[in-house]
Amino acid sequence: MADELTADSGALIFATLADVYLSSGMIDEAISILKDGLVRNPTYTLAKIILGRAYFIKGNIEESLKILEGVYEEAQDSENLNLYLGHCYNKSGEPDKAQKHYEEALKINPENREAKRELEILRSRVPTIPREEKAEEKVVEKRIGEEPKKKKEELLPHAVIVGERKPTFSDIESKLKAAKPPSEVKPPEGPETKPPVEEAEPREEVTLPEAPEVRFPEEEVKPHEEIEITHEEEVTPHKGSQAMPSEPIEEVIPTTEPDVRPVEEVTPLEGVEHGPIDVTPTQEAAEILPEEPVEIVAPATPFDALDEPVKRLLNINTVKGAFIASKDGLLIQNYYKGRDDIEEICALVAEIYNDVTDSFKMLKEEGLERCIIEKYNETICVINAGDTLFTVITQQEAKPGIIFVYARKIIEEIQGILG
Amino acid sequence: MKIEDLTKIHKVLGAGLVDHDGALIESRITFDYDAEKLGAMAARVIDRCKESLGIERTSVILYTQNIVLFTRETDKGIFFVVCQKDANLGLVKVKIDKLT
Repeated sequence: MADELTADSGALIFATLADVYLSSGMIDEAISILKDGLVRNPTYTLAKIILGRAYFIKGNIEESLKILEGVYEEAQDSENLNLYLGHCYNKSGEPDKAQKHYEEALKINPENREAKRELEILRSRVPTIPREEKAEEKVVEKRIGEEPKKKKEELLPHAVIVGERKPTFSDIESKLKAAKPPSEVKPPEGPETKPPVEEAEPREEVTLPEAPEVRFPEEEVKPHEEIEITHEEEVTPHKGSQAMPSEPIEEVIPTTEPDVRPVEEVTPLEGVEHGPIDVTPTQEAAEILPEEPVEIVAPATPFDALDEPVKRLLNINTVKGAFIASKDGLLIQNYYKGRDDIEEICALVAEIYNDVTDSFKMLKEEGLERCIIEKYNETICVINAGDTLFTVITQQEAKPGIIFVYARKIIEEIQGILG
Repeated sequence: MKIEDLTKIHKVLGAGLVDHDGALIESRITFDYDAEKLGAMAARVIDRCKESLGIERTSVILYTQNIVLFTRETDKGIFFVVCQKDANLGLVKVKIDKLT
C-alpha cells in the first residue's frame, strides 16, 4: 500500500494507509501522511476525521478538536467523527457536548460500545455528584483508616474508580498515567475525577463504611502509592491512552482482592502506549470503504446457487423469464429482466394459486403442485416450491413438459435455500 | 368428438361443460367425483384468472398430488377434464384442443 501511495501521491488511499498506521500505533507517521495527503486533497473529509483521531490519540486534544469541529458540518452523520468529538469534549471538560456527540454516534450506530460506555459514565456522573462526595468519604475511611485527612481528599475518587466500575476510555488513560513518572503528573481538573456512586455498589467496601479497619487490615493496604498514582492518572490526558486494549486493565482492577494495588502492577501498561483502539479500527475501516474509489463487490447471497439452473432454463428460446415469490404474493427473486410489472404478476399469481388451493379443498384434494395458465400471448407456469412459488413465463408455443423438467432442479435448490 | 370420447382415454376420470356461473351443462364422470363440484370449481378458476390477469379467453391446467384438472373457456362455456396424475396428459391436451 505504501508503494501504491508513492506511485500516486494524489490517491485517496493515503487515508486508508494512515488508518493502518494508526492501528499499528505509528501515530506520527499517520499524521505525517495525512497532512501530506490533505495538501493534495484538501476536501477529503474522511482523511480529516482520521487526522483528528490521530491527534487525539497523540494527546493533542486542542488540535484534534479544531480539526474535527472543522469537518462537522459536512460529516455530521459520521459515527467516528461524533465519537471522537465526544472524546475530545470529554477530555476538555465539556461533558454536555461530549454527551451530545456520544448520543449522535449511537444514533448512527446503536452498537457502538465505546460511545455507549462513555455515555453511561457521563450520565451517571451528573446527577450523583453530591452523593459521590459522601460515598468517597466512606470509602476513604474504610480503606485508608488512619490516613491524614489531607491525603484522603486527594485519594478518594480514585480509590472508588479503581475497583468499582468497568474500565473505560478514561480509565485506560489513567492507567497510562500511572505508568508515567510522577514528574509528568498534573493537578486534577475537570469532572472526570469524580466517579459515579452507582458504580461503586458492586464493591462491598463501599457499602460498609462503618467498619473499615476490620475488613481491610493495614498490612493489605498500600495507601500512599495507590493514592498518588490513581489521583494523578485521573487528572490529565495522556497521549495514546485511548488506544489501550482493555485486557491489561482487567488485570489491574481485580474484583476479589482489595482495591488498593501496588504501583508495580500498573506499570506493564507502559508498553501499550501507542497500541490501537480495539473497536475503532474496524469501524474506521468500515467507514473508509464506501468513500474509497474501490469497486464494491456485492456480497454473495443464498440465491446465487440458483443462478446456474435458472440460466439454463432461461436459455430455452421460448422462455421469457422467471421469478420466485412468496405465497402471499411478495417478490423474492426476479429473473425476468426488462419487465416492470413483475411485482403485480407476483401478487396475482399468488392470489390465483391460493384461491385454487381453497377450491380443491372442496374436492378433498390437497396440495396444488403446479398450474399452467395459458393466455393469448404467453403461458404462465406456476410451481409450488415449499413456502414459495416459482413462476416461469413463456411464449405460447413453449412446451410445458420441458419447462417442468428444467424447473425441477430449480425447485430443489429453492427448497434447499428456503426450506 | 364428444365428451364421451375423452372419458375413454386411460386414466381420465371425467369431463364436462359448465357455464360461467358454474352451472352444469353436460358431464360424463367415470369415477367417484362430483361433476357439479368439478364444474363449479372449473368455472371459478377460469373466472379468477380472467379477473386477475385480464385475459379474454384462457386455459388453466392444475396439478395436485393425485389428479390433474384441465379447464378451458370455449364459446359454449367452460370445458373441464379431470384425470389421474399419471395419465397421458399430452394426449388429453391434444384431444381437448380438437374438441374445443
